Amino acid sequence: MITRVVSVAGEPFRPQLLKLVAGLAAEGFFMGLGFVALVPFLRAVLAQDAGGAVLPLLGLAAIFMAYAVVRWNTQLYGYITGMALARALFDRLGGKIKTLPLGWFNDRRTGELSVLASEGIVEVMSTAAHLMRPMVVAITAPAVVLIFIAIVDWRLAVALAIVIPFSVAAFIWSGRLMHSSDDSIHGTAADAATRIYEFAQAQPVLRAFGRNEGAAKVLDNALVESHSATVFKLKNAVRGFLLYTMTIQAAITVLLVYGVNRGLGGEVDVPELVALFVLGIRFAEPLLGAADVQDVLRSSDATMGRMHDIMETPPMPVTGQATPTDKSVRFESVDFDYGAGPVLQGFSLDIPENQLIAIVGPSGAGKSTVLRLIARFFDVAGGRVQLGGADVREVETETLMRHLAVVFQDVYLFDGTIGENILIGKPGATKDELWSAVQAAQLEATLARFPEGLDTPVGEGGAALSGGEKQRVSIARALLKDADIVLLDEATAALDALDEARMRASIEKLSQDRTVIAITHRLSTIQAADKIAFLEDGRVAEEGGHAELLALGGRYADFCNLMKTSGGPK
Amino acid sequence: MRETKTSSAVSRLIKPVKGSLIFACVVQFFAAIAGVVPFLAVIEIGKALIADGNSARAVIIAWVAAGALALRLILILTASVITHKADADFQLILRRQIAQAMTRVPLHWFSSNSAGDLKKTMQDDVKALHVIVGHVYTAIVSAVVTPICALAYLIYLNPWLVPAAILPAAIGMAFFATQMGDAKAQMDEYNKAMSRINASALAYVQGISVIKVFGGSDQASDRFVKTGHAFIDEFWNWVKDKLKASALAEMIMAPMTSVLTAAGFGLALFTLGWINAIEVLALCVLTPAFTHPFLVLNFMQHFIMQGKDAAERLVGLLETPKLEVSEITREPESTRVEFAGVCATYDGQRDVLSDIELVLEPKTVTALVGPSGSGKTTLSRLLPRFFDPRAGQVTLGGVPLSEIAPDILYSHVSFVFQDVRLLRATIRDNVAMAAPDATQEDIERVAKAAHIHDRILSLQQGYDTMLGEGTSLSGGETQRITIARAMLSDTPIVVLDEAMAFADAENSAALRKAMADWTGARTVLMIAHDLSSVINADQICVMKSGRIVERGQHEALVSQGGLYAELWGAMVQRNVA
Repeated sequence: MITRVVSVAGEPFRPQLLKLVAGLAAEGFFMGLGFVALVPFLRAVLAQDAGGAVLPLLGLAAIFMAYAVVRWNTQLYGYITGMALARALFDRLGGKIKTLPLGWFNDRRTGELSVLASEGIVEVMSTAAHLMRPMVVAITAPAVVLIFIAIVDWRLAVALAIVIPFSVAAFIWSGRLMHSSDDSIHGTAADAATRIYEFAQAQPVLRAFGRNEGAAKVLDNALVESHSATVFKLKNAVRGFLLYTMTIQAAITVLLVYGVNRGLGGEVDVPELVALFVLGIRFAEPLLGAADVQDVLRSSDATMGRMHDIMETPPMPVTGQATPTDKSVRFESVDFDYGAGPVLQGFSLDIPENQLIAIVGPSGAGKSTVLRLIARFFDVAGGRVQLGGADVREVETETLMRHLAVVFQDVYLFDGTIGENILIGKPGATKDELWSAVQAAQLEATLARFPEGLDTPVGEGGAALSGGEKQRVSIARALLKDADIVLLDEATAALDALDEARMRASIEKLSQDRTVIAITHRLSTIQAADKIAFLEDGRVAEEGGHAELLALGGRYADFCNLMKTSGGPK
Repeated sequence: MRETKTSSAVSRLIKPVKGSLIFACVVQFFAAIAGVVPFLAVIEIGKALIADGNSARAVIIAWVAAGALALRLILILTASVITHKADADFQLILRRQIAQAMTRVPLHWFSSNSAGDLKKTMQDDVKALHVIVGHVYTAIVSAVVTPICALAYLIYLNPWLVPAAILPAAIGMAFFATQMGDAKAQMDEYNKAMSRINASALAYVQGISVIKVFGGSDQASDRFVKTGHAFIDEFWNWVKDKLKASALAEMIMAPMTSVLTAAGFGLALFTLGWINAIEVLALCVLTPAFTHPFLVLNFMQHFIMQGKDAAERLVGLLETPKLEVSEITREPESTRVEFAGVCATYDGQRDVLSDIELVLEPKTVTALVGPSGSGKTTLSRLLPRFFDPRAGQVTLGGVPLSEIAPDILYSHVSFVFQDVRLLRATIRDNVAMAAPDATQEDIERVAKAAHIHDRILSLQQGYDTMLGEGTSLSGGETQRITIARAMLSDTPIVVLDEAMAFADAENSAALRKAMADWTGARTVLMIAHDLSSVINADQICVMKSGRIVERGQHEALVSQGGLYAELWGAMVQRNVA
């Protein structure tokens, strides 16, 4: 447990945690001792010796005082430790997340990580504050009781001790059972949630095709499947819990039946025996308490396990101290795959500085991957990607990013105002700089639509803006950043003709003193490019100027002809 | 007021499994009684051996206790199997209800923020209720039954024992009561703070690519860490005053305290001669039974509050207003669509569409063009009834949409929208959604027409490939599947919103031809940014600021020299090689 916490919170926490555990152990020790003091007390009372019971009572009171002091301090100390842990985890996770490779993030991980970095941390905090007590006390208090019983009557102690290995085994076994069922129940619950979410998202289509019933049936099958998985796993979990409870109960049964029989044989003092029974029942209580928190403790352990995995995720290594010396980009026989078949194979492309390059090709050709490799979302499997003459793997992430501005296909806007979202590109920008980016991105008309202009909140995920508007905000952001190399992934797909025409002018202007690499199927942008790279099957099939490639009469020429002959529906 | 509302939310949700829960509680009731037996047995054994000298009885009692323990085990097993089964059933029922609710809410609901919360509600709130259904009720039964049994036994032994036995519980309770006064307010505060760190973590993680590329990773991480630290500071502010009080209350409730008071009072009363030795024993054994339930309930209280909040949210979700369909539905008499005096609003304040008059004659193509934000999308969403207009009405074959049963409406209208979603099902199921009985030939025919057939065959499992599980298609490919899907449906009216936006040029031409063949015999309402795709339309409506400002055919509009001419000019200019 301590090792687990230390693995996520850091070595400096070890002494503090050990101290907490030692305090809790002392608390359990005094608790056990208090119960033990009941034995001489009850023995005296049951022997009708009121005077003889006074001393044990005073002893009990003294032990209680010690218990109270220790408990008071451990309780406060548990809180303090919990909060210190949470602080450390915020620091460590906060610092770690920014070093994770961008390629690491996908929908599932993003969701999981954001939960981990908020609720997960709070969970660990409460582990230290609340959950460690019952666990530690469940070990030390019964241990003290057992040792005492052994001193008084070793046979009874043996009778009790026999169940210990079984109950420990049952505890661990039930923990494991529950752990595996937790994981799969967590999995099936998440799956059910995702399915309903997808069902909700697909509603427009489902209703349009009047197929809600069919899809509902598919969904329902998934729900039923998750239901039976839950039931099956719960059966497992119940089994483990029962076995554990059974061993504890067996201990009490053995104590009572065996004890009574020994009492009958006159081998033990009867008042003492009865007092030991009371002790035996008390012996069981903290143990059953441990079963109650086991559930919560396990979930917190799983949380810390996930945190540990994230902490251990290696950042992308920076193997050198290179700095880009110009604005060119170069792919040298790059191989790359996402783990399911090659995406780029022997991909080579030379992009001289201050040029506008259009990347064109059928879907699945690897166009977006090319841009992601320049921004080093992933590392190549073979060959290399150079930026300004430097291998991207040898350039510090910060330096690399300083040279790049990217407009992603899926626009992400922060929950803030339009202005704030643009200013991310250059936090210290002047008003003039901001406005020229706004104008270049054709955002003026949009801003005029809102009375608050740049101060209009974009809503969660940009909900207040249309697709085209979000795209223009992200273009303004990239323009404001004023980076050497601008990567545009379908940056104008959601724009109408008029906006697109204006935007093209902005992009062309941009490429006068910058390198612009644009994925697009807008013929106008393609034609304006200095160079066109036609991608097919993970390599550059053809490259050159528009006229040059047309004259070549190859794949690109086919592509252009198709574009030109395409008409409307009718 | 609020209290009754929230508790009814929980009870309303768990109604379907109420029977099982009551049964489980009854079983748990007996289990709790069986659980008290060993404690009483210790006392009775003492009585038999010491007071009565009846050793035969002591042996019987010991065996009775052993039997009670075995019985308890069986009963607990039964109760927990019942509750967990009930919980699993409950979750299934709840998820089904939510899915059902999803099929009724206005389609516009899905494009608002509420859909984003859906997943969280689904996962966290259903889980919060799991604790209530699976654990809380039976725990309460135990917590109530155990002290009552102990109390009854003490009264039977000697009523004088009662005050001494319940003293620590009474003091502890009084103490808790003074602390818990503003628990609800505190909980709300806590939840608010919690959602702040959730939001900050989400913004940090989701925006990571933007953060990194734009070089704000240090600030973003600082912001996240600061929010985290602020949360802890706030948290400390709440607990620091309460902490000592609650530590004290818990101390009063601790078994050690009970044992000490029992021993102290027991000895005093014994010395006074008010109670006998066995009764001192009884006091020592049973006093902790009175404090334990409160510790359990205190532990549970947090979960109960969470469960109530969760239930409220879920009931809110289930009660999302649905799109009204009038009692008496009519069949449309033709496929003529008419928008008459239509005004529409999203926020209830600002109209995004004003006074729209538009007729879609059967088998004609109507194109909507205009700058973004002009209302094209809104207008197109009214026909498949994503939401209803604020004023005016949309009629199909002379019947207002609200008087047409949804299945009839959607057997007349299909659409291909830009924000396409595929289901996590096989490609075949996705294509055949419109016609589950479609043959493989039909499916392949439309897939070929949509130029996606070859791509599908290149996948290892072809048409049986499960989407979303390791196989992901590009935006263009996704769109082509939705086009194939629409083609397979056989509706007389089709709404197309930027249907070709993601189609790459290579496929675009062939795809357009296939689309043209398909739409040729249908009524089409289309939105296009690429004006070259609308030149042949029967009617082009140019929209601006929620109104139709120009309408007519291509040639006429170009010569008119208005907004359309300007848009066309930009278009032509960029196509000059």
